[in-house]
Amino acid sequence: MVSINRNITRVILILSYIIIIALIIYGISALYSYLNTGADRSAMLHTEIKKIDQYLPKVIWKPLNNDGRPMDPETLKAIENDYLDAWFVKHVAYKTNALDGIKDYYTDNARLNLYNFVELNTASNTSIASTTLEHHPVLEFFSEDGQLAVITDKDVIEYKQIFKNKKLALESTEKSTYKIVLLLEDGFWRIRHIVKVNTQDYKTETKAVVATNLNIKGINYYPQASPWDMFGDSFSKDIIAKDFKIIKEAGLNTIRVFVQYEDFGKAKVNMQKLEKLKQTLDIAKVNKLKVVVTLFDFYGDYSVLDWTLNRHHAETIINALKTHDAIIAWDIKNEPNLDFESRGKNNVIAWLDNMIDLVKSIDDQRPVTIGWSNTESAIILKDKVDFVSFHFYDAIDTLEASIKTLKKEITQKPIVMGEFGLSSYNGLWNPFGNSDKDQANYHKKAQEIIANNDLQFMSWTLYDFKNVPKEVVGRLPWRKNAQKQFGFINLIGGKKPAFKYISN
Amino acid sequence: MHLKYTHILFFGLILLSSFTLIKQSETALDIKLLTAQTEFKVGSDIELKFSVSQNAKPLLYCSNSYGSTVIDPIIENNVVKYKIPPNINSKIGIVNWKLIKNNSTMLSGQFHLNPKQEVATMETYIGPPSIEAGGIDFTMLVVIPTDSLDNPLAENTLVTAKHQFLSTEDNEAIFTKNLISYKNIYSQKESGRMLVSSESLTVNSKEFTVTVFPAIPADFTVLAKRPHDYADGNQITIFETSIIKDKQGNIVIDGTYVNFFVTNEKGNVLKTSGTTINGTAIAKMIHPDYETKWTIKAYVEGMAESNTIAIDYKKVIHDFEVDFSKNNRAITIGPLQSFMKQMIPDGLQVKLLVYKNDKLIEALSKTTIDGYVLFNLKSDLFKNDKYNIVIKTAGIEKKYNSKALW
Repeated sequence: MVSINRNITRVILILSYIIIIALIIYGISALYSYLNTGADRSAMLHTEIKKIDQYLPKVIWKPLNNDGRPMDPETLKAIENDYLDAWFVKHVAYKTNALDGIKDYYTDNARLNLYNFVELNTASNTSIASTTLEHHPVLEFFSEDGQLAVITDKDVIEYKQIFKNKKLALESTEKSTYKIVLLLEDGFWRIRHIVKVNTQDYKTETKAVVATNLNIKGINYYPQASPWDMFGDSFSKDIIAKDFKIIKEAGLNTIRVFVQYEDFGKAKVNMQKLEKLKQTLDIAKVNKLKVVVTLFDFYGDYSVLDWTLNRHHAETIINALKTHDAIIAWDIKNEPNLDFESRGKNNVIAWLDNMIDLVKSIDDQRPVTIGWSNTESAIILKDKVDFVSFHFYDAIDTLEASIKTLKKEITQKPIVMGEFGLSSYNGLWNPFGNSDKDQANYHKKAQEIIANNDLQFMSWTLYDFKNVPKEVVGRLPWRKNAQKQFGFINLIGGKKPAFKYISN
Repeated sequence: MHLKYTHILFFGLILLSSFTLIKQSETALDIKLLTAQTEFKVGSDIELKFSVSQNAKPLLYCSNSYGSTVIDPIIENNVVKYKIPPNINSKIGIVNWKLIKNNSTMLSGQFHLNPKQEVATMETYIGPPSIEAGGIDFTMLVVIPTDSLDNPLAENTLVTAKHQFLSTEDNEAIFTKNLISYKNIYSQKESGRMLVSSESLTVNSKEFTVTVFPAIPADFTVLAKRPHDYADGNQITIFETSIIKDKQGNIVIDGTYVNFFVTNEKGNVLKTSGTTINGTAIAKMIHPDYETKWTIKAYVEGMAESNTIAIDYKKVIHDFEVDFSKNNRAITIGPLQSFMKQMIPDGLQVKLLVYKNDKLIEALSKTTIDGYVLFNLKSDLFKNDKYNIVIKTAGIEKKYNSKALW
């Protein structure tokens, strides 16, 4: 008895000794590896050049035909960079009524004019959020010693939001022409004189695209293994081709895919991802499927100064894809109304409004829409979009009534239910959730309503997913797990009962 | 006839409407702009007045070349007034305004601020600050006449560009275009200093100086001066260029670097250099210590070269005596005598080479002192044996075969 007790004590002592030693070694090694992280050898000399894209309005130079010294492309680029930076610091100054950065881009005399405005606007509690969307500069003159340049910046499209006492007082889009004298000082091309010679209100003329014969019967698509990361490393043409075949054979004709803003490289579009998107379109074409491309997903900063970057992003993507037959429509932004509260409704709507103009200016053949997350918001910008789309995740019984209300407002344009579905999750986190059967009933009913109301649709989604990134619905397990089981096909590849009602 | 008048009236109206700068887009009927003037002189007090039927207090958004602001109204009876702040009315260009109420524009328009025709400063930029003579190179004068409110003057304002160079004084009329006026001022044949200034509306700029440097040098000649033509290894030969000038005859700037290349009869190249003062560059080289012929040519690298000259150096030492003593280990060479039989100046190099079976075992070198050189072949270095000894100096070589040392 005594010896057994002693042995137990021994074992406990030895084990605790081993555990303590292991913990100490682990702690020391963690500290050691922490101290060894950090500076990379290649970063020691600061040889890499860091240039952040912060302001990228469209700049189109007129062919060079200037007085004075012939211009070289390097200097012209330097002038353009500093000139745009001058606009940028001016926007920042008038938005925040602070003076940062002005010194670098305006000469001693010229900066006083900006200081005066900042002072005046501070006193009257006015601030101006502005940006320029387009510049059409002409180089008029370049001095022989390369120290002075005169440009006429024609048809500068300026967008301004004027705030008085922190409240939006006016939104204004103007087209102006400026004459500008720049001096090379301390390596900066600084503005010496600005004279506005011409200005008028600007309104984009966009052409409506007829979208009456779209006949969308579709589904939102993510591959089963890589949801929300469709164009990443696990991109596989074979998997997509197989899935598209399933979709086509199920009687659908359209898929909806997403371009995630940051994932696609923001202003500097990741060409590899764009290429993968193109390949996806190619596969869709082979399978006779049409594609709705959602241009912005996971984007939440609508601030006016960020616009030029978003526009650059959209422009690059649309220009690369607009000749592709598979694209049936552009969805500007996924569920922008969810950002109304945090980013300001006015701001978000202004952003959407201008983005529609931009998209239509690049591609005037395809209809555009906005993927609103509910029917109430779907009437916003209804005159601008070519067809109206909304998402629906409420109780199916309320769908018919919601559509009826929406149809009172939207009489001319087609309506597409861009996302709808029901999770068949009823596990640990929600034991009274819906079963596969409930899901099937939901889709059966949904299809009936769709047929009765002459709706077009894209359901959510083809597959159940194993993993859902936290960015989609957050970290909460009951939400995450629910999000995993919206599919028509389960994790092991079997068709769920709802699959029968995937189309009408 | 009646129809004709209607036509004239109609076209007249169209013509008139194209001249009116102000565009009124009325969205509310109860507000009217009372200020008819749309052209103002920069810096003048400007007040925009509107008549309102109701007791409305709209804000006025106002934007000029540098920025935008919002102006609060002053209400008197049924008239709303907006006083344009100084940072807007002191800058030329177009000013657009919008009368705003409830986030929408009620009325909009614009007015023009014209520059004052007065000059406060002549903002002058000139460059490059130095140019080359010859009439091809030029400097550019850029003048931005500005008024007291730091605005550039109106287009087509007369600016007189003036410059003086040697005996010429020039005035030329130039006109502002795209906010600036400019003129290219070409150099003349001569080098020198050019003074530049400008004038506009009786205000003169300060004086600016542009240096006109001589152009690149043209080919020149070189000569050599020496105290005598003997190869005594002691005197100095001076190479001197002619006055180096550019194509136009301007003396090149002081400090122009000239390289002198000397090639001797063996084909070896010696090099020396000098910089010009008043166009002439000088370089020196010590005489050779043996009879030879030097070919000299000078260059201003990449720009100009001289003619080639050749000079001969005569032999000074025709022969010398060699005396072996102390078991042949002490070798006295001399007297070494120059062209007048005088002892050669100290420092002439004498070489002694010791061979054993045609293999060089030691090369000794010394310089003369008072016309003599003494070599000591030490016994611990040179074992008792027979050696071949060669003595070389002043281009003369003497051989002593199988000299026994003991």
